Amino acid sequence: MATETYSVGIPIKISRIDRELKKLWADGEGTMTRASQINLVVYSEEAGSLARNTQSVAEITENRACRAIVIAADPSAENDRLEAWISAHCHVSQSGSKQVCSEQISFLLEGSSTKFLSSILFSQLDSDLPLYLWWQANFAEQMDPQLWAWVDRLIYDSQPWRDFDQQMQLIEKARRTSKQRMVLCDLNWTRLVHYRLAFAQFFDHPSSHHHFGKIESVSLDHDPTCRSTALLFIGWLAAQLGWELTESDQAGSISLRNSAGKPLQVQLQERPGSPIGAFTARSNGVDFSVAVASCGDLLQVSRRAGGERNGYQLLPMGENTLVRLVSEELMRGGPHHVYLAALQKIRPLL
Amino acid sequence: MAEQPQANPLREGLSTRAVPQPCAIVIFGATGDLTHRKLIPALYNLAADGELPPAVAGVGFARRPKTDDEFRKELAETTRKFSRQPVRDEIWQTFAESIFYHQSEFQDESGYSSLVKRLTELDRKHGTRGNRLYYLAVAPEQFAPILKNLKAAHLNTPQSDSWARVIIEKPFGRDLPSARKLNRIVREVFSEDQTYRIDHFLGKETAQNILVLRFANAIFEPIWNTRYIDHVQITAAETLGVEGRAGYYETAGALRDMVQNHMLQLLCLVAMEPPTDLSADSIRDEKVKVVRSLRRYSLETTRQFVVRGHYTAGAINGEPVVAYREEKNVDPNSQTETYVALRALVDNWRWSEVPFYIRVGKRLPKSGTEISVHFKRAPMVLFNRESTAPDQNVLVIRIQPDEGISLRMMAKIPGTSLRIEPVKMDFHYGTSFGKPSPEAYERLLLDAMSGDPTLFARRDEVEEAWAFIDTIENAWAQKQNAPPLCFYPAGSWGPDEADELLARDGRAWRRF
Repeated sequence: MATETYSVGIPIKISRIDRELKKLWADGEGTMTRASQINLVVYSEEAGSLARNTQSVAEITENRACRAIVIAADPSAENDRLEAWISAHCHVSQSGSKQVCSEQISFLLEGSSTKFLSSILFSQLDSDLPLYLWWQANFAEQMDPQLWAWVDRLIYDSQPWRDFDQQMQLIEKARRTSKQRMVLCDLNWTRLVHYRLAFAQFFDHPSSHHHFGKIESVSLDHDPTCRSTALLFIGWLAAQLGWELTESDQAGSISLRNSAGKPLQVQLQERPGSPIGAFTARSNGVDFSVAVASCGDLLQVSRRAGGERNGYQLLPMGENTLVRLVSEELMRGGPHHVYLAALQKIRPLL
Repeated sequence: MAEQPQANPLREGLSTRAVPQPCAIVIFGATGDLTHRKLIPALYNLAADGELPPAVAGVGFARRPKTDDEFRKELAETTRKFSRQPVRDEIWQTFAESIFYHQSEFQDESGYSSLVKRLTELDRKHGTRGNRLYYLAVAPEQFAPILKNLKAAHLNTPQSDSWARVIIEKPFGRDLPSARKLNRIVREVFSEDQTYRIDHFLGKETAQNILVLRFANAIFEPIWNTRYIDHVQITAAETLGVEGRAGYYETAGALRDMVQNHMLQLLCLVAMEPPTDLSADSIRDEKVKVVRSLRRYSLETTRQFVVRGHYTAGAINGEPVVAYREEKNVDPNSQTETYVALRALVDNWRWSEVPFYIRVGKRLPKSGTEISVHFKRAPMVLFNRESTAPDQNVLVIRIQPDEGISLRMMAKIPGTSLRIEPVKMDFHYGTSFGKPSPEAYERLLLDAMSGDPTLFARRDEVEEAWAFIDTIENAWAQKQNAPPLCFYPAGSWGPDEADELLARDGRAWRRF
């Protein structure tokens, strides 16, 4: 993990970006290898995001070489401002023989300059490489449709959203604009990867599949800020196991029906800590449990029947930092139909 | 064999590979180097990455008396040394609780009866469900007694809804008759679909990527034939000498040790036709066709197209090294080859008269394994009239180290005159993907547990490979007129005769 502090680099005129980038590489010739697999655009409207996202990109490029375009925008600023910087993030390669470098172009857009977002992006993309857009702001009504047509994967985090439905509708509109080719990568969903893996492994052997139809209750502890994360997890179970939502209350109790029409109960409880602290599914007297281990960065999974615990194992939990979540997302890739199906199941609760 | 497990709906979108089922892994030769350096670190890494189900237990089977705890302690030490990722105490502790030691002579029947009891106990306590994976990490002469005893104890026949598989380490024999004999012994105990012959080269990420490169990129396949390819070179170079393996190496030599398995496997991946699907047998069917199509050597053609070398004293990286014959436990008059260069032809439509040059050797200046595909020269009537003949396009697939792919092509030198020079377009795995690849043994163990034999050698593949290799070995074994053993100083790129092998065809070994 990168611990150094990275600067946004050399300030330059936008018209000279190409020329200055070439110079940057020419100066380091022989010692650096430039690598790029994707265009990673990071967009934020938060103050101070440029420095923070530069740091994030430095960490992400350790595992995934890319051309990073970091944008800090303030559409509400009174004065117009448009500035650019270039820099390189270099890491020693696995073989230790060479420095592998990814380039970063940073922009500060203020006031009406923010309207130029698409045109700035299009002129700076590395040709033939896919465009991953990490959108850190709220989605707005007025978005340039041209932008969405270019995006291959849209990365966002639905966890802090206040109005989930409104934001999701804007994303769906963007997807329609992109003719459904844009893949949605919700970091709130990525947050669940290791929990899903930990739970799924209980049922790898066909002899355990009968439990799917017998799950009668699920209890789940989540951090108060991660209700949507917890709901996505329940949505995933519902989508994959054919459950239907029947009713829910404000206290966190959700009633569902399984594919055979039998009722089952989900109880969500707020407990400060990890996004998901623990969950247990009970089926036919067997408890399938996943919980954060005492070391704090592993998941302990166990199966308990008749008071006897077996199948105890420690599994990776993954880090709940945006950088690690984005890195995980970039390495895993893949389609998003399971996410969409999970979302569909719990959309009324979000 | 157990039926293919039904899909777990909760795995959808999480994992594209088959998930291993709970099982007990019995390692014969548990106190050996392979177990300590490769197998246990590989299992630990799989556990740490969450790739193993909780109900996997390891049972080390070996002769030396030892308790479970002593065995675990030894493994903890070596795993810390050889693991791909740092060992975490919490994970090791849970992992080690599922490792056991079973002391017995390989020939001792009673040791297997007690193994049955132990495994049944593990099924009950650890939920290993009667699934067994036997790993024969022992010398080939131990295969027969172990297999015989496994059969006598009925450990080869799975109960209903469970499976039993065996992984066999190379060498799979030393010639065709011995390979057939070995396969017969194995077949008496395990059916072919229970048998996994491991060649760790196939577990390497880049070896697997050859198929992706060839069949997932439309640009290569149309030119992957005799019309466009001039020749192919496959090189496996080592700076190391025999490193304590003299006993084995003296009886094997480079041809048996490297060419019969690793090199021919790589050749097959380069030369095979597209399989009908990605199932194990579809891929292996195509590979075996390639080995079958290899033109066999006569005494005369062996002399012409195969060079065997033997290193004399020299220096590696500025350090003096002794001659092979002066290495510990090596016969001072040894005739064992430490280097082989050969020209092979694949007699089929696609590869008609395209030579595959293979070279392997010890005590060469650099270590690495690479495949280079040399395309035919473009008709350069337009350029460089005054200079020497232009270079070829070369596609290089680097298997190890620094895995990657590069393509050499021609480019104009900047300037007013029209001159061209070769340039290299280079892809490094380590540059594009920071995440380290899993070790070959991790992938292969997981595949064996999941019942996927794609990356393991099938019986007919092994036997066909020996049939090809035997023609060379037979020529070398001639009492009279045997092709000579050529010498090369350690730290050089092999004997002059290897260079002449290509020079006769108007070619040269690629600069490695």
